[in-house]
Amino acid sequence: MDVSQYLEIFIEETKEHLQVLNEQLLVLEKEPENEDTINEIFRAAHSLKGMAGTMGYKRMQRLTHDMENVFSEIRSNKMKVVPKLVDVLFKGLDALEGYLDAILDSGNEGENDNEDIINDLNQILEEGLNGGAPKKEEAKTEEVKTEAVKTEGAQASACAVATEEKKEVSYELKGLTFAEHENKAIAKAKAEKFNVFQATVYIQDSCILKSARAFLVFKSLEEAGTVIKSEPSTQDIEDEKFDLQFSLAIITKESMEQIQKRILNVSEIAECVIGEVATPEVAVEDNSQQTVTKENVKEENNSQANKPSSQAASKPVVNRSVRVDIEKLDDLMNLVSELIIAKNGLVSINSNKDHKENQSGFNEQIEYIEQITTSLHQSVMKVRMVPIESVVNRFPRLIRDLSKKLDKKMELYMSGEETELDRTVIDEIGDPLMHLLRNAADHGLESNEERVRLGKPETGSIFLNAFQEGNNVVIEVKDDGAGINVEKVRNKAIEKGTITKEQAETMSDSDIIDLLFRPSFSTAEKISDVSGRGVGLDVVKTKIESLGGDIEVETALGQGTSFIIRLPLTLAIIQALMVELGTEKYAIPLGNINTIEDIPKSDIKYVQSRECIHLRGSVIPLVRLCDVLDIEREENEENLTVVIVSKGDKQAGLVVDNLIGQQEIVIKSIGKYINNVKMISGATILGDGEVALILDVNTLV
Amino acid sequence: MNENNETKDTKQYIVVKLQNEFYAIDIKYINNIVKMQRITRVPKAQKYFKGVINLRGEIIPVMSLRIRFDLEADEFTNKSRILIIKPDNQGVFGIIVDEVKEVVNISDEEIDKVSYDGNVDEKVQFITGVGRLGDNLVSIMNIVGVITDKDKDKE
Repeated sequence: MDVSQYLEIFIEETKEHLQVLNEQLLVLEKEPENEDTINEIFRAAHSLKGMAGTMGYKRMQRLTHDMENVFSEIRSNKMKVVPKLVDVLFKGLDALEGYLDAILDSGNEGENDNEDIINDLNQILEEGLNGGAPKKEEAKTEEVKTEAVKTEGAQASACAVATEEKKEVSYELKGLTFAEHENKAIAKAKAEKFNVFQATVYIQDSCILKSARAFLVFKSLEEAGTVIKSEPSTQDIEDEKFDLQFSLAIITKESMEQIQKRILNVSEIAECVIGEVATPEVAVEDNSQQTVTKENVKEENNSQANKPSSQAASKPVVNRSVRVDIEKLDDLMNLVSELIIAKNGLVSINSNKDHKENQSGFNEQIEYIEQITTSLHQSVMKVRMVPIESVVNRFPRLIRDLSKKLDKKMELYMSGEETELDRTVIDEIGDPLMHLLRNAADHGLESNEERVRLGKPETGSIFLNAFQEGNNVVIEVKDDGAGINVEKVRNKAIEKGTITKEQAETMSDSDIIDLLFRPSFSTAEKISDVSGRGVGLDVVKTKIESLGGDIEVETALGQGTSFIIRLPLTLAIIQALMVELGTEKYAIPLGNINTIEDIPKSDIKYVQSRECIHLRGSVIPLVRLCDVLDIEREENEENLTVVIVSKGDKQAGLVVDNLIGQQEIVIKSIGKYINNVKMISGATILGDGEVALILDVNTLV
Repeated sequence: MNENNETKDTKQYIVVKLQNEFYAIDIKYINNIVKMQRITRVPKAQKYFKGVINLRGEIIPVMSLRIRFDLEADEFTNKSRILIIKPDNQGVFGIIVDEVKEVVNISDEEIDKVSYDGNVDEKVQFITGVGRLGDNLVSIMNIVGVITDKDKDKE
């Protein structure tokens, strides 16, 4: 059987199962007696094994099998959960993830047998069972047994058909009531010497991928004939809205036995009861009716076949995909149809010869199109949104491992996992967050003894909070550790020569903390030891800035530190203010702009020989964009147009020559070749085809 | 087709003029040839990057080969063209040339490899060899060398 088309489903589900295993193992570690958890783990491991086996990933299957053995013994209370076991199991999960990654990359599981993990597992199993029979053999015989059971089961069920059929037939007929057009189809088929059967298929109750099995049944039957009816409906079967059995009717040329065999060939099918459908008492009527039926049948087939086949990957390497709510797609579809109507409106105006009327109608249509494109933008953005959960759900495991490694007690508290972010941001945000968590665990939290001495609870707490704030999503990584010792950072910075003594004296605490994000700081091993911060923070900052966000630190000595990441909700399209500098045009993202001021030249003050203005109680430094961007400045006007922008609490006034206006712009990258000027975050194409650069306000403030 | 009968190591090149030298660029790298158009300057970029252009909705950085090769500054004429280059495994960029002359076939035998002394990284050299084309000589341009930024890599 060609399984490549199920690869995507397999990968999705394997990920889900691994996540479940990870989560549940964490629970199990804390509550070794929790039966629900053990059952949950067992189920996940079992279906993982089954799936890997079906897909032909033998190594993966073998490892899961041995893990499952352990779970099985735990479940039947023959052995206890010990820390060492949990460690090995986690290692096993990591190895499984390794297999999955290999499959993602190349389509096969790779060469690593992970023999050591398997040995460890078996050893623990033996120890746990007090040196019982050598486990490996047992495992093997078990495997053989299950296989035997499988074949036996198949035979048994075949036998069962004969005996049970009578009992089941009445039930079946109840289950399948045919609509009129279906009856007609049946009658027609019968007239054409086709066989019409109905079957009730029972799936083993241990089966987890019920809908997948059902799909395989349908798939196999489609090869033999046409499935005209199923109970529950194909849609419900797809959504797994059925119990362990479903019924269907098929029109085919094959014999009853052949059909039955086809169904039983699908694994994890317990039984199949099959019978002939009596010719309904409907005369074969006009052909038009007939075609309708056929179309219906086709449609049904399509809807049933569509989902898996559209997900099927032609290559083993899997495309990145987003699961999209069908309603969101409907919204999109509606908007697109509206767009087409609007376009037709424009066309009809164009063909209308009366010019005066044209003008007003034209404007109307433009407004209409504007509305639609705005909604379209919002809808597409919604489709791209993914809950942050998919990134953060692996962190509890990370913290657990760190806790073991660093020998510190700590606990991770997460909130706001449902907060949604753009898919591209989600993909990129994982590493920086992991970095910050590591930082918090390693440098932020004090050692157990130190915490006790300070009168803090022995177990350190790390918080990961996500929430939406206006047009931004805020992610906060907080610990209740020692906090950043600003003085030490200051001294180290002077020692390292990053800043001079004089500078150090004038720098505020927050400026000093900002030094931690400097690349030179991250490499300085000593500083990270003393200050407890700074390893690779520049990488985090760069990453977050490349996503259009920014990062801030709040710290209180002895009470902890929090890193606050702000990310824009949307990436691709923003509102911007277009400004003119000399002959060039630049875009300033509207999100950064506070106000626009007209300032007489005489109002400029000088503070430390920098130009500043005094505006409503705050002193705002001026940035001459012309100078910063190497544009020739022509100075003759009395008043300056100043765009006041802000980044966090900081403000700055950007001096521009002219304002053009507000515009919705599409952000494009300027590529990697040009030595990226930090001040430019990208480019956009204006209505006339000209390219305008987008200013990155964060670096200018 | 005659070309099919020729030896396998014959490649097609596009010959371009730069000041008064001729350069040949392997045709497989060339995505497109467009006329000069308005280039948007990017502040603080490398000197030889003239800026970016809009090519059918894509933003493409454009390099002045003359500045890159330390020749006189560009004079844009009617014959000036932007060659859109797509190197292997890297993004697209444009180069400005004075004139696009012709497409030629040059076999590997007709190319003399340039040898550099050991301490020069081959990656950053602009030409890989010199080809004979009738009485003329053309330099075979090394696209990877042209786009690799020596200073940037050092950082």
